Amino acid sequence: MGEATERFFASLPARAPAVLHGPAIGTLQIDLSNGHRTEHWLVEMGPGSARVSRESRPADAVWSSSEDLFERLVTGRDQAVAAVFRNEATFSGNVVLFLAFRRFFPDPPGTRDPCQMARQQAGRAT
Amino acid sequence: MRERVSILDGNTFLVSDRQGDIEPSFDFPTGLFSFDTRFLSTWLLTLNGERLHALSIDDAQSYRTRYFLVPGEPTHYLDAKVSVIRSRSIGGSFAEELTVLNHSGQEVEFTLRVDMGADFADLFEIKHQRQKKGRTTPTVGENELRLSYHREAFHRAVVITTTAPADIDESGMTFRIRVGPHGEWTTRLQVATVIYGARGEDIRATLPLGGHRTASNIHAEQNELIDRAPKLGCDCQPLAGAYRRSLNDIAALRYESIALGVRLLAAGLPWFMTLFGRDSIFTSLQVLPFLPALIPPTALMLAGLQGSRLDDFRDEEPGKILHELRYGETAGFEEQPHSPYYGSADSTPLFVILLDEYERWTGDATLIRQLEFAARSALDWIDRYGDLLGTGYVWYSTRNPETGLQNQCWKDSWDSVSYSDGRLPGFPRATCETQGYAYDAKLRGARLARKFWNDPAYADRLEREAAALKERFNRDFWIPEKEYYALALDAEGRHVDALSSNIGHLLWSGIVDESRAGLVAQHLLGPRLFSGWGVRTLADDQGRYNPVGYHVGTVWPFDNSIIAWGLWKYGFREEASQICEGILSASRFFDGRLPEAFAGYERNLTDYPVEYPTACSPQAWSAGTPLLLLRVMLGLEPQGEHLIIDPAVPEGMGRVELLDIPGRWGRVDALGRSRGPHDHAH
Repeated sequence: MGEATERFFASLPARAPAVLHGPAIGTLQIDLSNGHRTEHWLVEMGPGSARVSRESRPADAVWSSSEDLFERLVTGRDQAVAAVFRNEATFSGNVVLFLAFRRFFPDPPGTRDPCQMARQQAGRAT
Repeated sequence: MRERVSILDGNTFLVSDRQGDIEPSFDFPTGLFSFDTRFLSTWLLTLNGERLHALSIDDAQSYRTRYFLVPGEPTHYLDAKVSVIRSRSIGGSFAEELTVLNHSGQEVEFTLRVDMGADFADLFEIKHQRQKKGRTTPTVGENELRLSYHREAFHRAVVITTTAPADIDESGMTFRIRVGPHGEWTTRLQVATVIYGARGEDIRATLPLGGHRTASNIHAEQNELIDRAPKLGCDCQPLAGAYRRSLNDIAALRYESIALGVRLLAAGLPWFMTLFGRDSIFTSLQVLPFLPALIPPTALMLAGLQGSRLDDFRDEEPGKILHELRYGETAGFEEQPHSPYYGSADSTPLFVILLDEYERWTGDATLIRQLEFAARSALDWIDRYGDLLGTGYVWYSTRNPETGLQNQCWKDSWDSVSYSDGRLPGFPRATCETQGYAYDAKLRGARLARKFWNDPAYADRLEREAAALKERFNRDFWIPEKEYYALALDAEGRHVDALSSNIGHLLWSGIVDESRAGLVAQHLLGPRLFSGWGVRTLADDQGRYNPVGYHVGTVWPFDNSIIAWGLWKYGFREEASQICEGILSASRFFDGRLPEAFAGYERNLTDYPVEYPTACSPQAWSAGTPLLLLRVMLGLEPQGEHLIIDPAVPEGMGRVELLDIPGRWGRVDALGRSRGPHDHAH
């Protein structure tokens, strides 16, 4: 298991109040495999809250992918919806949970504020 | 262009020639498509090695077509000793029944062949012609031909089965048959499309609604939807025809979202069979008085996919409402940014406008509370990321120069925003109508904040911001010497001074100073913009004007419906009526089905509207147009718990009666009648 992934899951409860709003309530199971074994994570999501555990019990939705892909997602180097469309990750169950969960993924590394870029482009001071 | 026949169920559709054949094509998307992938690119029927010709085609239903075919050239029709009936339907999968009829008194041997092929092209590969990166493998089975496509984990397949025995090879099926005197022979070909997902199952198998529906399911479902719409009684045949056609097309354009398991509206056949933020919001606004149940799934989906991070490739920012969502290979492998793509400067304020308008009609406060955070994020986006230059306007400039959109307003082609002399401005650009939407979104957001989110301070702030925006806009966008609003501001804040239909949307949003509304209306109905059928996208004396230019001279029915709404809002009923009359008269020439756009030629030059060469049809917001025009003519406006009815029916249209209009009032009827010198007969 990559370090970034571990840190990512550890950060979810603290970040949830700013990230999770609206109608997403339920449990999301995340299965990450490295070819030899599969690690399970369980995230219980509610308005403004997320509880993370390694429990194994039925969930409302299941995400499956390689550890590598997930490490790229939690470091902003890949995007989750495209990964599902090319079948590198699969998803089943309540999609609203996945759409809410993707909000935890960060910007690609090195992304700049678009306003700064536009002001530069227009020759205005930033 | 060869005449084409399409059948459609949601985002699965089939486009073929008049014989029902499909041949590989790279200019226009012919074939069987589902979720942005072409699953059949060859489907060619021959009898004894000869192509067939259609005597007649029955395509009254959107999901079913029947072809009556005979061999040989048209002159041989009367001698036909044999004919073939090709009856096909679509509903998740595609089925075709082939029947050979022997009209002679002897037993006859025939060789019937269907050539079959699949190139698994992504819709974008048809537009831009690319070599496939994956591999297609045919497998011949008993009564079955399977074509599979693999690229890494991306796996799609089409499986064709036959009920009658056939000689099956890798490129089709041959039936060697004997048909008795005056007898017939039949086989049923079933074409299943498979999109592999979790656990190697079809991705649609795990959806709540299921992927496959029979033709009779579809028929029942479409009828149920249409039955819920108000009933129209009127003297005007074009209006009656357009209304019926629109409801049918809207029913057919609903598709099951892979992601949410709800039915959403696709934008238009054939290029846009997917979710667009802007199109779905405008269509929702048009159909709201008629089919309010279509709005919640659309709003929930747009909120669910709302931008949450900065992503240059997708032009994504937190709070932004998507532009376009695609499911195909190029989206998955990031050769195109549609997963989803957010390059649209107006869909975010439009989202807030839709939520408010929806509540005003339906009284559904639950959805408004459920989407409070999404609406607030959208309102925040306007000032935080929309205002790229910090000047108090919403600007756009793509951060993805390779595959992003240059123009991120509804006129999203590359040359749609120009100065009067035809020059193109640099970036970023701030188009006028987007500022109007932002103004309206703030006012409507204020109403929602006060009434449903219990936040009067936020409401006050939004109202102050809206008032300041209106004042600023009327100062900065008005061109005094030309007496109209500039199409846009360039990065230096100068007027992009073309005269365009965009100024009509300003009336709809309410940002126009009362004192200037009359001049705007005069321009819209004046000879430079008004063709007689409708308002042109660009005035005919502008540098880039072209009567068959996509956004630089054509007439867009949807555009006109919003302009008519705007004219009505400012009290210009006569002018609004002129647009209603023009567009509805045009619809008659398209059998009631308004295309995406038609040419900007003068009405008295051609006497009929000239179709734009590659227009999408049916298209959702064109189908929504007759509905919104009806609302404008009858003057339907919710006020509190009531529906205000204030009709102004164009001269000569006679009686217009709309029964059972749904809303927070239950159901009410509206009746209008034209009053003019030619109307005494009614």
